Amino acid sequence: MTDRSRSYSTEGIVLRRRNIGEADSILTLFSLHEGKFDAVARGVRKAKSRMRGHLEPLTRVQVHVARGRSLDVFTQAETIEAHRALKADLERMNLALYCAELADRFTIDRVEQRPIYELLVDVFHALDGGASAQAARYFELHLLAITGYEAQLDACAVCRQKLPEEETLISGPAGGLVCRACRPAASSGRILSVRAVKVLRYGRTATIHQFDNLRLDDTLERELRAALGDLVRPVLDRELNTTRYMDALERADRIPALSPNHVQSDQSNPVPPEP
Amino acid sequence: MAEGSSTPEPIQRLVESFHRLPGIGPKSAQRLAYHILRTSEQEASALARAILDVKQRIRLCSQCMNITESDPCGYCRDERRDRSVVCVVEQPLDVLAIERSGGYRGLYHVLHGVLSPMDGIGPEHIHVRELVVRLQAGEIQEVIMATNPSLEGEATAMYVQRLIGPAGVKVTRLARGLPSGADLEYTDDVTLARALEGRQEV
Repeated sequence: MTDRSRSYSTEGIVLRRRNIGEADSILTLFSLHEGKFDAVARGVRKAKSRMRGHLEPLTRVQVHVARGRSLDVFTQAETIEAHRALKADLERMNLALYCAELADRFTIDRVEQRPIYELLVDVFHALDGGASAQAARYFELHLLAITGYEAQLDACAVCRQKLPEEETLISGPAGGLVCRACRPAASSGRILSVRAVKVLRYGRTATIHQFDNLRLDDTLERELRAALGDLVRPVLDRELNTTRYMDALERADRIPALSPNHVQSDQSNPVPPEP
Repeated sequence: MAEGSSTPEPIQRLVESFHRLPGIGPKSAQRLAYHILRTSEQEASALARAILDVKQRIRLCSQCMNITESDPCGYCRDERRDRSVVCVVEQPLDVLAIERSGGYRGLYHVLHGVLSPMDGIGPEHIHVRELVVRLQAGEIQEVIMATNPSLEGEATAMYVQRLIGPAGVKVTRLARGLPSGADLEYTDDVTLARALEGRQEV
């Protein structure tokens, strides 16, 4: 950020939005040239705002930003990719928001992170085109690699010995696969099938489309989700909001037809405090 | 406040209370507190009573979850309203907005929030179960999702659709398009595409 001119233009993806005041929002934009940053969008919650529709989360936008004293201010915004199909599907929207939150948590402010940005653009593009949850797995795998947490998949993460082709322990804290002899040294982990190991290895060099085109059954899909979750978790200091949300959705789905015993019949229905 | 502070403690406490209100900065909080100090005791106690009354007398309608003094609320009691349609909104203020439009004569359901993946707000944080319970009575034919046209509002609408759609209740969404007085050239693609889809004969 050597250029201290009063304004700048960049493209980026809106990761997050927080409302402040009457009609303003603070947006977290993951940009191509400036890295991740927060800036204010004034009046963006009013129906007549010219920027409103352009600055929705998950939208890829071209923005013009004025430098402010504390926070910069968006002055113009124009959609590059609205990702409309992605936003019209609850599952894919959740996957995209999950990737957005991961990108947010794996990056620091104002540091250009072009490879991560391009990865996110690819993943959103794929999800918008109908990709499955495998797109999110691809994002996790590559995000770890780009940020220096590449999963050790060829040799044992502890002793560096070559691994035989068999079910292998994968450990988040150890950072990858762990051979039989070193298992006691790994503080935690789960056993990964030979198929799952192969898919992960393939994912490192495949394009997102090749990876998404793999036909994985539910068991394998769950295995990969759990394994990559294990690898991602040690890098994060706390649980992701989107993970918490998706767990809540799953819990709500399991309750058959939402039984009526929950609802109060009369009195003492306190107004809930604002979250 | 620490000892030796020039502001008396009661005033300091009032300033801090005002400061906690939305949209009130430290300066405004101070101005309000000193204004209260200058008003008559009568006016001040009226304000205090009004605040307490809101907390003590306002509750949620057991049917629509809207804020009310008497349960069921005025909308739910009103015999002239169409009982086959329910309009689902995020906040009680949205009910007022829709009432102001004068174009709706059905019932309401207030969620008191919206699904927000980015903030970890899931279905258990909003009054969505109560909606499902209401539908079980079988009187309601259509649910109009009037959540905001934001990502969170859309997520909520899709979630409700998934939840109650299979039960055979018609779920509709407020139309999205150009606000009156808008400029076409500044409109985002999504809104414009939706406006085109929802075009009507002149």
